[in-house]
Amino acid sequence: MNARNRIIVFFFGTLWLLLAGQCFADVILPDVDQKFVSVQEINPSRDAGFVVGDKLQRTMILTVKKPYELIKESLPIVGYEHRYRGQVSGIELSAISVKEDQQSQQAVYTIQLEYQVFKTGRVTKPAILRGEIVKIRQAGNTQVRQFRMPSFNFRISPLSVYGEVNLKNELSPYIPPLQLRADKEWMLLKGAAALLGLCLLALLYILGARAWLPYMGGAFAKAYRQVNRLPEDPQGLQQAITAVHQALHQVAGHSVFANGISRFTSEQPAFAPASSEIERFFALSHQVYFDPNTPLTLDLPNKQGLKRFCRHMRDCERGLRPEVRA
Amino acid sequence: MQEQQLNDWRTHALTLETEVNKVVVGQQNPVRLITIAVFARGHVLLEGDVGVGKTTLLRAFTRGIGGGYQRIEGTIDLMPNDLVYHTYLGEDGKPHVSPGPLLMSGQDLSIFFFNEINRARPQVHSLMLRVMAERTLTAFNKEHTFPHMLVFADRNQVEREETFDIPSAARDRFMMEIPIVVPAAHEIMESLIFDTRFHDVDQLISNVPADILKFDQLNSFAKVIQENIQASPALRKYALDLWLATKDPVAYGVKVSNVDMKRLVLSGASPRGMGMLLRAARVNAWLNNRSAVVPEDIHAVFHETIAHRLVFSPVYEMRRTEIARELLTGIVNAVAAP
Repeated sequence: MNARNRIIVFFFGTLWLLLAGQCFADVILPDVDQKFVSVQEINPSRDAGFVVGDKLQRTMILTVKKPYELIKESLPIVGYEHRYRGQVSGIELSAISVKEDQQSQQAVYTIQLEYQVFKTGRVTKPAILRGEIVKIRQAGNTQVRQFRMPSFNFRISPLSVYGEVNLKNELSPYIPPLQLRADKEWMLLKGAAALLGLCLLALLYILGARAWLPYMGGAFAKAYRQVNRLPEDPQGLQQAITAVHQALHQVAGHSVFANGISRFTSEQPAFAPASSEIERFFALSHQVYFDPNTPLTLDLPNKQGLKRFCRHMRDCERGLRPEVRA
Repeated sequence: MQEQQLNDWRTHALTLETEVNKVVVGQQNPVRLITIAVFARGHVLLEGDVGVGKTTLLRAFTRGIGGGYQRIEGTIDLMPNDLVYHTYLGEDGKPHVSPGPLLMSGQDLSIFFFNEINRARPQVHSLMLRVMAERTLTAFNKEHTFPHMLVFADRNQVEREETFDIPSAARDRFMMEIPIVVPAAHEIMESLIFDTRFHDVDQLISNVPADILKFDQLNSFAKVIQENIQASPALRKYALDLWLATKDPVAYGVKVSNVDMKRLVLSGASPRGMGMLLRAARVNAWLNNRSAVVPEDIHAVFHETIAHRLVFSPVYEMRRTEIARELLTGIVNAVAAP
């Protein structure tokens, strides 16, 4: 074989190899049965507003049921860039990590993909993260099948607008809506929450009957608790009246009698709204302690009445205005 | 029956008060206190300046109560026998003896008014002690009794020259010492000046209906009051605490400004004084239509029945009125009931 023929043979041989390789690369594998493979995708939280240099993370959770298994070598490698009609897409895979969880009936592959945008334009353009094709095979079987993961559409925005741009023409529905500033509403919400908290605290304070609340150590707060604990019998009533008397003395700083109510309310104006109730209390005290024969027409005949009186006095003690009937 | 009697007498007592208040204006509290003393059968010491209406007040009461009314002026040369008799030369040129103020009304004497008692000598005070305590007097070889007599005396504490302090034993015989002061209300003061009805005292007093009360029944009715108005155990304890506080105010945390409390009280209220306090409190309860004594009844008469009985260290005697008032107020403030 002369040199010319050798060159021709080499040329055709090389051409055959290239064509054979090309044919092998473009071979379309059969899809795997959907019942063996499922995927769950976690995409970026937004699909617009990406500019050159931005990175998009997506996570594909691939569940492959046995007897199939993922061919890990079929996963894309860092630096891989999709092409469309021979043109690079400008979106490059910048990182990939795979976590495998082998279970008895299936294997779960958590594939973290990170793409970086390397293209820009004068106006917002649609772009796509194409679904990666991974290969699946049965264990101990040479037949390979493929599975295409779902793609993700998004929009790439220009870094800056330059030159004359007709916004009306270039207006894209993909541009994310401008976010309103909600600072004022947030402040309002926080204020309302604080007010609600204070109101709840005040309600607890008004209704509370425990010593751990602030200013709960007042004379009438103690008397209220004491009256609450006493039995509902004549002896308990006497003790309750004594407890209220002691509270009155403690608040006044001196003994208080029926003829000193006006002095008491003038010295302690906070108790003035309850002056009629104080008078009724003294009438009850007189009947119980000093003059049992005197008929009494009061609405404070029992411990419940005394408890209500104590609660009103406790409200006065705390600077509140009790609901006192005249 | 007794309830009806109590109600009837209360009506009379309140009528008497009302009538006296019409004559002596602006003295409601002294009038109430004298009414109490009348029904508690206690002697009264009036204290007040000259011309404030003490005599008018007593005369008005005397007219309403009925019975005999006698009066004597305390002077430095007054002797005990001046209260019992006086001698004079009659038209016939012979010496005569006639009964003095104490004996003149006999057993019907209902009010004996001793004006300016502190000007009289201690001998006179001594006679009065017996008459007030026992309501008897021995004269002309005979014992005279004054079962319905109440002694009303007054003293002027402003003037101290030629006066004799009433000893504590004599003061203790008085149920009350009642201060009489000029009314503070300007319209009353103006009325006292310009209203001509106040210028003629005799005419003024004649406006009080005579014999509203039956003076000779007061003793028996006073007993009815004391028997019917009850004092509960709580009230008894309160009165006892008050008594103890007058004896030892320091133990009750009582303080008087600018006074060494440990040295102040030499002697607190006497048992007789506390008894009189409760008698007066019962009458006050009755006048207020109550069947039992309450602490406020005691308060109504506390200062007037106790203040003059307290014996202070001599260093504080000059400020007696002021200190006694502050001390007793402090005791009322310190002792609780129940």
